[in-house]
This record gives sequence, C-alpha cells and structure tokens, in this order.
Amino acid sequence: MVLEATMICIDNSEWMRNGDYTPTRFQAQADAVNLICGAKTQSNPENTVGVLTMAGKGVRVLVTPTSDLGKILACMHGLEIGGEMNLAAGIQVAQLALKHRQNKKQQQRIIVFAGSPVKYDKKVLETIGRKLKKNSVALDIVDFGEGDDGKPEKLEALLSAVNNNDSSHIIHVPPGPNALSDVLISTPVFTGDGEGGSGFAAAAAAAAAAGGVSGFDFGVDPNLDPELALALRVSMEEERARQEAAAKRAAEEAARQEKGGEQPSNSQDTTMTEHKTITAPEAENKKNDLMDDETALLEQALAMSMDDPRTSNSMGDTDMSEATTEDQDLAFALQMSVQDNPKDSASQTEMNKVLGDQSFVSSILASLPGVDPNDPSVKDLLASLQGQSEAEQKNDDKPPNEDK
Amino acid sequence: MSVESATAIQRNQVDLLDFVDWSGVECLNQNSSHSLVNALKQGYREDEGLHLESDADEQLLIYIPFTQVIKLHSFLMKGPEDEGPKTVKLFANKEHMGFSNVSDFPPSDSAVLSLDNLKGKPFTVKYVKFQSVRSLTIFIEDNQCGGDVTKVQKIVLYGTTQDVTFILEGISKFDHYI
Repeated sequence: MVLEATMICIDNSEWMRNGDYTPTRFQAQADAVNLICGAKTQSNPENTVGVLTMAGKGVRVLVTPTSDLGKILACMHGLEIGGEMNLAAGIQVAQLALKHRQNKKQQQRIIVFAGSPVKYDKKVLETIGRKLKKNSVALDIVDFGEGDDGKPEKLEALLSAVNNNDSSHIIHVPPGPNALSDVLISTPVFTGDGEGGSGFAAAAAAAAAAGGVSGFDFGVDPNLDPELALALRVSMEEERARQEAAAKRAAEEAARQEKGGEQPSNSQDTTMTEHKTITAPEAENKKNDLMDDETALLEQALAMSMDDPRTSNSMGDTDMSEATTEDQDLAFALQMSVQDNPKDSASQTEMNKVLGDQSFVSSILASLPGVDPNDPSVKDLLASLQGQSEAEQKNDDKPPNEDK
Repeated sequence: MSVESATAIQRNQVDLLDFVDWSGVECLNQNSSHSLVNALKQGYREDEGLHLESDADEQLLIYIPFTQVIKLHSFLMKGPEDEGPKTVKLFANKEHMGFSNVSDFPPSDSAVLSLDNLKGKPFTVKYVKFQSVRSLTIFIEDNQCGGDVTKVQKIVLYGTTQDVTFILEGISKFDHYI
C-alpha cells in the first residue's frame, strides 16, 4: 500500500512488430501496461500512473501521472509503432514528469519496457542510474524482445546503479507462448516488493482474465474458505520464488494448456495447493470463474478421490481460468490433481487432454494470466513426459471432458 | 547579542529539536544505513559511532519542517575533518526541493564550514533572513576533502520560536516580542 507515483515508459519502436510474444510484442506490452495501471491504482487509490513513449518521433508523454484509469487506457489506443527507442531520454523525461507530480508525498517509480536494443553504453546508463538513486526514484526494468549486444548486462548495470534497498527490480522475459502480462503478474513489478501485492496482483489478473472478479484476494476469501485462502497464499509465495524457471517452461506449458481444467480444481482443493505451489496464481484467476462451480467441484473432488490413479499432473498450472468453466473439465482436473499428489510430475501429457476444443484452448491461453508458475511440476512433467510416451497416448485416447 | 563561545548557546536561543516535525523530515541521497536520524535525533547524534552519510555522491539535501514558526539564529554541524561538510546552503520555507533546483534561486544563507565549525563551533546565520521559518532546507554541496562521501556527525539548530512561549529560564531579557 505504498503511496507511489509511477511513470511507465513504453517501447513503440519498429522492433515491436515482432510476433514472438503473442500476439505482437507491442500488444503484449500494452496488455501489461493496462494490468500494471490497474494493480497500482487498486493497491492504493491515491497512487498515480503516467505513460510515455520512448520511440516514434521522440520521447512523448501521453499522460501525466493520474489516478484516472480511463484516461490511461484511452491514451494507449492509436499508438503508432516506429522509430528507435531512446532509453536515456525516456528515463530522464519520466524523472522530470515525476518531479512535477502533484502530490509530493508520493514515492517516485519508473517502469521501463526495454524491448529493442539499447544503443547507450554502460557508463551512460550507470550515470543515469546514480542520478535516479540520488533523487530517490525507483526503477523497474522489463527486459523482453531483443536480447543481444549485451543488453541484459547493460540493464543489470543500470539496475545496480539505481537500486537502493531492493526497491528496484529487473525482469527478463524470454519469448514464449506465455503472455508478457502473465509473466509479470507474479513479479515484484506487480506485487510491489511483496507487501500484500499478491492481493491486488491476483485481483488484477482475475479482473483482466475472467471479468467475473469476486474482488477477493485469490478469488476466495477467509469468509468462504479460510484454509483455501491460506493455502493459496502460501502457494503464491512459493510460486513467486520460482517464476523465472516457470518462464523457461512456457514451451512445455503450451502443450499442457489444454489441461486448463485442472487449474480451477486445484485451487478448489486445499490439499492440492500444497503440492502445486505454482497453481496458486492460476488458481486465483480460476477462482473467480469457479465461484459458482465450487460446490459441484468439491463434490467431484470427493468422487475423484476414490477414483483410479491417473497420472494426472497437478501441474495443470497454466491457468486456464476461462477455459474451465465447464464442470467436466473441473472434475477431470480435480481427479488429476488428487491422483497426482504423490508424484507431481505425472506427465505433461495429462495437460493435453481435457479440453476437447483446441481453438478454445488456444484462445484461452492467449489471455491467461500467470502462466509462468509450475516450475517443479513442469520439470517433473517434462522428465516424465520424455519417459512416458505411452502416457501421452493414453491421454489422447481419452475423450476430453470425461467425467469420473 | 551575547558573545559566542565555542560551545555555549546564545542567550535565549534554544535547541530547536523540540520543534522539528519528524513526520516530514526528508533527506535525499542519504545512505540507508547511515541516515539523517543519526545526526539529528537526541541520543543518536551524541553517539560517535552513528553518523549521516551520503550515497551516490557527496551532496546531501536535508528538509526539516517545524511544528511551529521559528526564528533561526545559528546552527552547528559536526563531522570528521576530511569527509565533513564544507559548503552548506540554507533555504527557508522552500518545500520539496530537489538537487536540480537548488541553483534556481539564491539561498537564504550559505556557509563555508571551517574545521572549527566541524569540531563544534556554531555558525551564526543571517538572522534577518530567518525570521519566520516554517521549514528549513539544508543543502550540503561538497565536503572538506572533495571525496565522494560526506559524513555528518551531528546537526543542531539554535533559535527561538516566533510566539512567546519561551522556556522560563531564558526570560531574563527579551529582544523580541510579538
């Protein structure tokens, strides 16, 4: 709940046309910006957010720090891609915009999306970093897109020059099927150094993904299910610690996206969360959707417990909250997770089944938040997947949405 | 006006520490492990082991608001011989200054501290410029040796309140009365 004024620096250079992040780099960035704005204003209503573009004809401030979310979202429309990113000028203009904020009590923060190559050398970046530190401005860097020319090292140098008491962060997001915003949700960019961030991160993710937000942290709150809320929170903490590994597994995740149904069921089941720490973020999203299905799911979960041992993997983690609106999927997922408790890595193939509709799955995947989790389970799945081709066949054979 | 001595406070002048509004005290470019409280707060500033240190470079910008309007008479800044502050600029009633606008307007007073000052001799400011001070900004521009780090052991501000709520001991002679 820190009172903060944030300036977001968007990269709208030519490099953003690339499609290695779905749907395009630029669109992924815009989604992430929208989520960040929501998260910031939600964590503290007095927070303000401003946006500027770094490429195009030159650095241009689209909106000065304001708490009006509509204004921010509106200015993201009609942005044109072109030109080259000017990182140094962008940061300096952002610093100037923050200096003239209306509420001087707000802490200053700049969030930079660095998607194209950085043409400045380390020395210049370090000087800029020191100047930011001197004026107590925190800096978050999202390193995505182009990753050559020593760009990660340059950005790391910039971060170490700015960093004061771990208030600044850098996130490297490699290309993959996971949406940029999903990866960012579990990072300190959203969670604000771990101070209750999971609450609004979850809520923001849920709001963006499901649209049926209950407004609760993790979708379910102590009112309804204290144990579940606690388990989710614990899972969330653990998941956050492993987010980077999860990003690497994005590729494998895609194959398992179909399993989306498992996600909600996992979240439903308190015991499940213990095994799947990763599912927590997805679980939150799912929860919103599943609120109505909760009873049905619990019943199915009980039924599932009796069921046969399928090597379902609890990992289902890739949040498919939208995808699992169907009870059948949920039931299946529940079953999977129950079975899989002893061995996390049942097999990736499990994921593949579930959703009969491929197109539905892919569309859901595109909008899924928090895809990154699943580090341990994903790893296990990969290992088991390679060793168990048969399992895959088994999965393929099974019709989607099968009930137990 | 009474004669100054190296350690004595002017007659009627009190330590303004009681009137500092701690919720608004800020210091830019301070090292987080050696912060302003080490130099300003009672008890901390007497401790030789605790000091205020600058972080990214040698400049420091200290903002001190007061709970009531005061008149500033002099200040005392103690520090080590080489890393102690040298050029100090004071700004009265200028809020939320940053390093970029310290040179935008002239300071209410500026001081070049000598080694005597660093050992504990108070520096008398231009009293007329500090007659009704709501907040004080202290800009430490550089230090004695010219290095990258400035250390300040102790900061004491001497003055009086603008209203007549004097400590009874100092009532012997009033130069100022509302």
